[in-house]
Amino acid sequence: MLFNSIEFSVFFLIVFILYWGINRNLKVQNILLLISSYIFYGWWDWRFLSLIILSSIIDFTAGAKIHAATHQKDRKAWLMVSLIANLGFLSIFKYYNFFVESFSDMMNLFGWQPNDLTLNIILPVGISFYTFQTLSYTLDIYRKEFEPTKSIISFFTYIAFFPQLVAGPIERAANLLPQIEKKRIFNKEWFNAGIVQILTGLFRKIVIADTLGIYVDSVYQNLEVHNSSTIALATFFYAFQIYYDFSGYSDIAIGTAKLLGFKFHQNFNLPYFSKSLTEFWRKWHMSLSFWLRDYLYISLGGNRKGIKITYRNLLLTMLLGGLWHGSSFNFIIWGGIHGVVLSIEKYLNSEKYMAKIRGFAPLGYVITFFVVLIAWIFFRAPSLESALYAVREIFAFDFNMPFIGDINVLVNSFLLLALGISFDLFLFKKKKALEHLGKTFKPLEIVLFSTVLVLIISLFYSTSNNFIYFQF
Amino acid sequence: MTKESFLYVLKVIGLFLIISFVADKLVFYALNTVSDKVLTGQSMGKLNQYLKEKDELDFVIYGSSRANHNIDPAVMGENGYNMGMDGSKLAYAATLIKTLPLGKKQTILLHIDPQNFFSTYYEGKDIKVLKTKYNRNDIITSQIDALNQNNSLQNFYWTLNYNGMLLGILKNYFKPNYNYQNYSGFDPIYVSENQQEIFKKILEQNEIESCDKVLKSNEIYNKLLDEIVVFCEENNKSLFAFTSPVLNNKCKEDNELLLQILNKKGITYIDYSDVFATDSSFEYWKDKTHLSNIGAEQFTEIIKRDIDF
Repeated sequence: MLFNSIEFSVFFLIVFILYWGINRNLKVQNILLLISSYIFYGWWDWRFLSLIILSSIIDFTAGAKIHAATHQKDRKAWLMVSLIANLGFLSIFKYYNFFVESFSDMMNLFGWQPNDLTLNIILPVGISFYTFQTLSYTLDIYRKEFEPTKSIISFFTYIAFFPQLVAGPIERAANLLPQIEKKRIFNKEWFNAGIVQILTGLFRKIVIADTLGIYVDSVYQNLEVHNSSTIALATFFYAFQIYYDFSGYSDIAIGTAKLLGFKFHQNFNLPYFSKSLTEFWRKWHMSLSFWLRDYLYISLGGNRKGIKITYRNLLLTMLLGGLWHGSSFNFIIWGGIHGVVLSIEKYLNSEKYMAKIRGFAPLGYVITFFVVLIAWIFFRAPSLESALYAVREIFAFDFNMPFIGDINVLVNSFLLLALGISFDLFLFKKKKALEHLGKTFKPLEIVLFSTVLVLIISLFYSTSNNFIYFQF
Repeated sequence: MTKESFLYVLKVIGLFLIISFVADKLVFYALNTVSDKVLTGQSMGKLNQYLKEKDELDFVIYGSSRANHNIDPAVMGENGYNMGMDGSKLAYAATLIKTLPLGKKQTILLHIDPQNFFSTYYEGKDIKVLKTKYNRNDIITSQIDALNQNNSLQNFYWTLNYNGMLLGILKNYFKPNYNYQNYSGFDPIYVSENQQEIFKKILEQNEIESCDKVLKSNEIYNKLLDEIVVFCEENNKSLFAFTSPVLNNKCKEDNELLLQILNKKGITYIDYSDVFATDSSFEYWKDKTHLSNIGAEQFTEIIKRDIDF
């Protein structure tokens, strides 16, 4: 069930009415959330519900056992159960074929052709997201930063909670579980903010991202025939397509949760207004980057073991972050580019170069965006060869007339992008987060804001594609 | 939820529904007023011009971009119009054919792409291009309803009918591209050097074309064609179906089967897929299925020779 579908609107309306109708009984309300979350997920493929349920059972048990264990060895053993089970599911469904094919390719280099061991596996929607979410629960308990819940319903609801189940934000148990176990109170401010965020998210997704996607797809489907200017323009559009696609999804998720009385963390904070890549990663897919920082980078030693180990940790974290997105070398290279540039920034900072060049701060925005743009080529290109071709072609500086395609699409793309960026610029200048924008609105302001957005959506929405991050 | 909160939610939702409904209608009627005056541009103007002039025409060409860019009606006769439209298929053409005046002698040239005719996925979505006339033109409304291509939200938010068209309408309202009185619906493609380079690279890729092995005619195509035949028979229209040239057409089975099916339906069908197979110049083509202005000039002469008006 897609957020931008009629089915979801009907589904959510029913859940909303029932949910607040049974507000007096927390347990029944949570059961309703759990059932509706399973319906939401089962709408894609009910068979994969078993995977979520299995994962939930394992981590609920592991969490309780880690907490109850008196010996460090037992605690570690139960943590390993959780890690092996969750990462095992992820490896089989997401990475098995990639590793087998890579191994086979490597063996071919040595003249040995192993049998085809690849499996015909479907990637369950959202597995990367809920795996990280459920892992944070056992890891936090292991680190004694969080106490396990005794309620299996609460825990299962935490894992499957539908606003964030398939593409995040990856909410930690420390934030979400206490909210699930506490009576929710309807809050007008949250309701207003939620409506504003949902409609803004829809606008970002089905108006801006999906319009930009038409041009991007037409170029990236056949990269080899296009010149530098066309590939550069398509990559520029893609940078905003993926931003508005994913931040739009997060906005709808966060807004939906708010209508049910839940507060999620911010997931995007105008990331393209960043002076450095380090800042970019504090603003882009924040729930993932903070997860990687807290559970991977810091676990590897962070920056506590000397500068060389810090670089290694940074690079490793970003490479694995890349691999988290998908099982291909393109994602690994994408992560690698970010890792290398983050390391360079770390070096420049440690040498206090940054202080010397502070006067050139505006240049930082441009350089950061340029690095992000180059890395996006690897993220979007259908293969490593075509990504390398695109990079080569851009740096061939063959800036002739770009491919126009459908002139209506191109004009709409520029106009809608300008509208989206202007809105972001307004938030940036006013130092406002979208999450808080609607809080102070009066009912008439909410209605007028919503009416304008609905009219824009109605006049400019594009054929809706799946959310890009669903494939991860 | 307290009673106060419940009333607040009701108030916001109620106000939103009322205000957005009213605002939607205001914008919709404003757009109707503006768009009805637009007589240039592909998205709106061409349709308006067609609806304005259709009763006086002697012949009309219908079909996709392969009709629109490939045939110049001005060369074929004095009183013709090319109503071909990028991306359109049979639902769009059939609806517009049904708007022709009853009883008046007219010739219809209908482009049919065999790939669409044998497509298992075709649902008639191309008719949505006509949605600006929904509830404003009886024939178009009934055809959209018959094909079930009107979504339920459109009954509440009418501006959805103008989705994706606003900028084109405004542009052509304030600054028309051309004088519509000199326009016959034909849009030749002047291939730039850049486009030629792209096309050369595509040809160099030499991709293997796979032909469909199982050919089953699409039900909607079949039904719409039958309706067109009946309409033409009852209203003094001569119907010719044709397929435009294709560069290196490797799949011929679909064309042959299409010929048999259309002949059975009593439709005169001429397959021009291979008309440039032996005498083809690179300059004739924009891509494998679209002719350049030079190719279109040649093709128009061929079709004029074959079909006697």
